[in-house]
Amino acid sequence: MTRRFDFWSLVSIATWAILLLLLIIPVGSVLLSSFIDRSGNTTIANYLAFMSEPRYQRAFVNTLIVGFGGLFGAMLLGSIMAFCISRFQIKGSRFVSLLAILALVSPPFIGAYSWIVLFGAGGVVRAWAKEIGITMPPIYGVGGILIVFALKFYPFVYLMVSGALSNVNRSLEEAAEGLGLTPLQRTFKISFPLVLPALTAGGLLALIQSIADFGTPRLLGRGFNVLATEAYALYSAEIGSNMSMATTISMVLIFVSMAFVMIQRFMSRRNVYHGNMINKPVKIQLKGWRNWLAHFAVYFIGLCGAMPVIISIIYSFRKTSGPVFQEGFALQSYERIMFNLGDVVRNSLTFSAIAVALIVIAGTIIGVLVARRTNLNTSLLDGAFMIPYVMPGIVIGIAYIAAFNTGPIVLTGTAAIIILSIFIRRLPYTVRTTSTALRQISPSLEEAAISLGYSPFQAFLRVTVPLIVPGIIAGAMLSFVTAINELSSSLVLYVGSTITMPVRIYLLILDGDFGTAAAMSTILLVLSGIAVYIAFRLMGRNEQALL
Amino acid sequence: MAYLTVVDGVKQFVGFRALNGVSISVEQGEFFTLLGPSGCGKTTLLRAIAGFNDLTSGTITLAGKDLRSVPPHQRDIGMVFQDYAVFPHLSVFDNVAFGLKPRKVPQAEIKTRVAEALDAVHLGALAERLPAAMSGGQQQRIGLARAMVINPRLLLMDEPLSNLDAKLRIELREEIRDIQKRVDIATIYVTHDQEEALAISDRICVMSAGQIEQIGTPQEIYGDPQTLFVANFVGTLNTLDTGPNLERMLGQLSLRAPNADTWTIRPESLRLVGEGEGAGPDHAALEGTVAKFTYLGREAHVLVKTDVGELVVQLGAAELKTLRSPGDRVFVLVPRDALMAFDADTKRIKLED
Repeated sequence: MTRRFDFWSLVSIATWAILLLLLIIPVGSVLLSSFIDRSGNTTIANYLAFMSEPRYQRAFVNTLIVGFGGLFGAMLLGSIMAFCISRFQIKGSRFVSLLAILALVSPPFIGAYSWIVLFGAGGVVRAWAKEIGITMPPIYGVGGILIVFALKFYPFVYLMVSGALSNVNRSLEEAAEGLGLTPLQRTFKISFPLVLPALTAGGLLALIQSIADFGTPRLLGRGFNVLATEAYALYSAEIGSNMSMATTISMVLIFVSMAFVMIQRFMSRRNVYHGNMINKPVKIQLKGWRNWLAHFAVYFIGLCGAMPVIISIIYSFRKTSGPVFQEGFALQSYERIMFNLGDVVRNSLTFSAIAVALIVIAGTIIGVLVARRTNLNTSLLDGAFMIPYVMPGIVIGIAYIAAFNTGPIVLTGTAAIIILSIFIRRLPYTVRTTSTALRQISPSLEEAAISLGYSPFQAFLRVTVPLIVPGIIAGAMLSFVTAINELSSSLVLYVGSTITMPVRIYLLILDGDFGTAAAMSTILLVLSGIAVYIAFRLMGRNEQALL
Repeated sequence: MAYLTVVDGVKQFVGFRALNGVSISVEQGEFFTLLGPSGCGKTTLLRAIAGFNDLTSGTITLAGKDLRSVPPHQRDIGMVFQDYAVFPHLSVFDNVAFGLKPRKVPQAEIKTRVAEALDAVHLGALAERLPAAMSGGQQQRIGLARAMVINPRLLLMDEPLSNLDAKLRIELREEIRDIQKRVDIATIYVTHDQEEALAISDRICVMSAGQIEQIGTPQEIYGDPQTLFVANFVGTLNTLDTGPNLERMLGQLSLRAPNADTWTIRPESLRLVGEGEGAGPDHAALEGTVAKFTYLGREAHVLVKTDVGELVVQLGAAELKTLRSPGDRVFVLVPRDALMAFDADTKRIKLED
């Protein structure tokens, strides 16, 4: 059958153009650049250097250490919390979930710094402890990084696993009980295998995020370098900036992330269970010390995870004199933002708004194309969908510099390059959610409208669109949260006039002005909170959508 | 010329032919049912008439005019769907009124017509509710009212009752039948449920593998099946083992059909009798032993091992008093005129008297 050239053919072409321009060319540029030495010759010297120089070897090993450390920390905390919340009666469990969401949407970097405020060399808690005679080691080094990663990324595991746990059909456990298994055996032989895909998926997110994060190792590492920090250092060094080595490390980062995505897919490939949900699990009311222990575990994890947010909210209201905190509370930090840094807030808001608008428009149209026309094959989409997973923000930033610094399209230093980098990272998510939502709407709904006298386009507009709009807006809100908190690619791409709030927070922390950083973080948090609230209002409280 | 006709309808999908030269004609006001197993092409044919999937070749006419050239939304055909297809974001009233809006019906008339349609399906009290929380039966009533209210030229129903439970299915099929007769609208109804087809239809078209097996009234389809497929699909059937025992029985009844490949008889035509009872030129008695007795309340099925194979005998209410146990020696009475013979092409063979 031949299909005539119509609107959808145009969309198909535009989709390819977007992917080519914003994804294939930048990644291709990174790849190309990694094979070219400073004098412009083709070489594999960069990769040889990567393998032979101890500095890079150490960074590679360190990356794996923080990756797996973050993975296991997040898995441990996340599964404990998920298990307690979904299986036991916990007072205020919604509040605890809120703490997890807070940890998830909290602005990056602020976490690491808040922990320095508490447990750093001059940390508040350490000072108290010293007074009562306990000497604590400062939080710097690999241990500190792992603690911060575990507390920052446990919500990934928690949200994934608690979703899966509350979907395990109780009949399965009852059947196991009937077959004579003890509660512990039931947990390990029935529930655990059923939630394993969710556990590995959540763990993967924690692992990838740990590998991609470079703010935490930079602030806490004190000489403990990982690939992300090395790439950034190589790129940003004022003297001897080594772009081709930075791109080489970027490629390694992409491959490491991709390898873990593949491993996770391979592991959970056969383990997709679809239960009928006739028999929902019930929550058990624990008694005595067990009850206390469960509550303690849940609240301890929740509060520790949200601690950076709490600290930065408190510190944002403290009185300051320059960067130094004084006794008492004041609004000085907010005043400083109002009078000196208004343009930063404005930048963040406009960039995020434009990016989200583009994401919604393009994502929805492409989503419809993917759901309704099979000619754009889904494997392409699946490939594109891996971008946010396998491309650390730093790498996206470096890739965009590599692609758009010279050549036919020069975008470096513009707002467009920041907006586009956010756009491409979030677009696949929106396409996926839109096409999934569309596939869940029975085609007979539109057919009913057509048989009642509406043209196909009108039927789409009057039946399908009203049904998917709440989901689209909710998705837009969540994209907004991602966009406004985006740091690592913007950090590579910003210039003085396009500085955004997370970048400014990072710079403020490096300058030691924690009061202003805390105030700005609080503003970011409030904006994110509003967006999450709207999203939850529109689609129900679906915490997993935040992942 | 009939009201709706399909001539030589062919639908070719990639790799298989869903419709292979199908021709039907439906009269004004007729309740016409497409009956067959899943994959037989009945839904494909219905959707071709609705316009959702065009035929590969063939013609469709409605009231003498070509239908294939008319886009689906201008065909003025009401459709009822298997999954109800009720708009979840609209109230019951707005669902039913949905089709009146593009027809530019005045607001006041919309109100009265929707109210009438909802009353007809006993949903008048629920007009302002949202359909999401309603039962399947109520949702399908909305679907029915929505399709009828536009006074379509033709009503199509695609397995409208198959997602409902048994009791409701019977109740609603009676209502559908009554409403259809009252508004006197040509209706094409798709189902795989033979009992439903027999109960509701003026005429039934039995389909198999993209082809029509037989078209006829319920009595013709059940009582006088023209192919082995129809005989098997509609009702239940005993197939007799071929061999010298069967030949002997046919000889007793002086039945001769040289082309016959398969001999069959329906369970309700058989009776259990005592030794020596009933046999004669019109009836053959087969000796056998009871293998299984299944009590079903108003009837019972007895599986009897005979020398022409295992036969299911259906006992009516009057015969239920005698309990049969496995191992009992019984006689099965086979009436001559109830035997049906089919040739090697599975076509029915006319037996001379």
